[in-house]
Amino acid sequence: MNLAHLHLLLNHIPIIGAIIGLGLLVVSLATKSDDLHRASLTVLAAIALLSLPAFFSGVGAQGAIRKDTAVPASLVERHEGSAILALFVMEVTGALALVGLWRRHRLSKAGHSSLSLAAVLFFSLVTAGLMARVGSTGGDIRHPEIRVGQDLSAETGLSAVVSVFEPSPVKFTDLMLLSKWWWAFMMDMHFIGLALLIGTVGVLDLRMLGFLKQVPVAPLHRLMPWAMAGFGVNTLTGILAFIGMPTYYTFDVAFWLKMLTLLLLGLNAAAFYLSDAFQSVEHLGAGEDAPPLAKFFAASSLVLWFAVIALGRYIQSYTDTIPVQ
Amino acid sequence: MTLPPLFLRAIEESGFSAWLRGSESPFAFYFVLLFHTFGLALLVGANAVIDLRLLGIEREIPLMPLKRLFGIMWVGFAINAASGVLLLVAYPTKALTNPVFYIKLVLIAIAVWMMRKLKTQVFGDSSSSEAAMMARGRSLAKWSLALWIGAISAGRLLAYTYTYLIFPC
Repeated sequence: MNLAHLHLLLNHIPIIGAIIGLGLLVVSLATKSDDLHRASLTVLAAIALLSLPAFFSGVGAQGAIRKDTAVPASLVERHEGSAILALFVMEVTGALALVGLWRRHRLSKAGHSSLSLAAVLFFSLVTAGLMARVGSTGGDIRHPEIRVGQDLSAETGLSAVVSVFEPSPVKFTDLMLLSKWWWAFMMDMHFIGLALLIGTVGVLDLRMLGFLKQVPVAPLHRLMPWAMAGFGVNTLTGILAFIGMPTYYTFDVAFWLKMLTLLLLGLNAAAFYLSDAFQSVEHLGAGEDAPPLAKFFAASSLVLWFAVIALGRYIQSYTDTIPVQ
Repeated sequence: MTLPPLFLRAIEESGFSAWLRGSESPFAFYFVLLFHTFGLALLVGANAVIDLRLLGIEREIPLMPLKRLFGIMWVGFAINAASGVLLLVAYPTKALTNPVFYIKLVLIAIAVWMMRKLKTQVFGDSSSSEAAMMARGRSLAKWSLALWIGAISAGRLLAYTYTYLIFPC
């Protein structure tokens, strides 16, 4: 197993996932099925999370393929540019899906706003299209049988339009490194986001574990948009930092363990909300004890978040711990 | 060129300082650094929740029970005071020759003072009404948020503004 394997393993998930999410969303609208609607938003949020390691593993695969002179570097660059654009749109889609899930939860009977619905629908449609292009530009790299008789340097039709919005990876990297003050600002935001995220999630977790028992759960749970705002800031600054120093993060064991821990946190959150754990604590009043299952998810959330902090701090000392193929 | 005070070199030449800086062990410098970040999360995270609540976010969260969060803040503060001293032992010249380091300490000092004022003035009288608590806490909460953001930012800037990483020879 190396990073090129990992990229091949993960890189179909955003493509297929975006299509499945979009498909479920369309069907849920056609059949007016509330459960399907919820499922489609959950899928889109999950795929947004899984797209992060899929994107990050690309640099490792690039390191492995660079030695193959039969593969033009321009093809790899074109693939990476399309992946950057698709990733940003995917993350916006994921954020909108979370907003949709939140509104659904808060306004359960009142129905959903057609504006936020239209936004998710539009962005997931664009995501699916962009992901298809990422797949096809990636396929061009390794499947010479596809590009026979095609001039890939000239984009035509829709891809010509899309390619205008695709950044050059090299220029994007240079832009991130242009000023050390910009870098310092991004890192600063990453730490402020961390404090906001851990503060709000931590207080809810501690309540479920029985430490602020006099506080009812529901109003604490309403702090979660603040946690998601912190997570959003950190996802954005994290992606930008990765684009700024791709090889620094790619060949780093601590970085990958941090990504793995983030995926486990996604799993933990999904299990908490989709099992009856959340329902069992949602209406707990002052002084009421949470059942063991909810306590388990609260404890694992705390442990995993602090592991994310710890692994983030170890990144600097574990650079070059993964061999470049 | 004037050299930094020589006692900084004496600290750096001590075995413990050299070990913190140079050891390959995962329990050396980065271990201390991660505890410094744990402390930050506990101290600022808990503080931010109280500040946001005092500023009117989620008024259905009863204020008085949040008093327990001050315990968490003090645990965070203790972790960061201890880990901060260790980081200082590892890189004394780097920190003490940088004006930003003193700005950071002043910001933390005022922020901790605000934290104590919050506890005594807002949470001190358990018979206070929520409206009275919020009225008393409003400007304290704003200052507290601004000061902690400032302290985090100053701390982050230490990585980009130092003149000497170690004592110049």
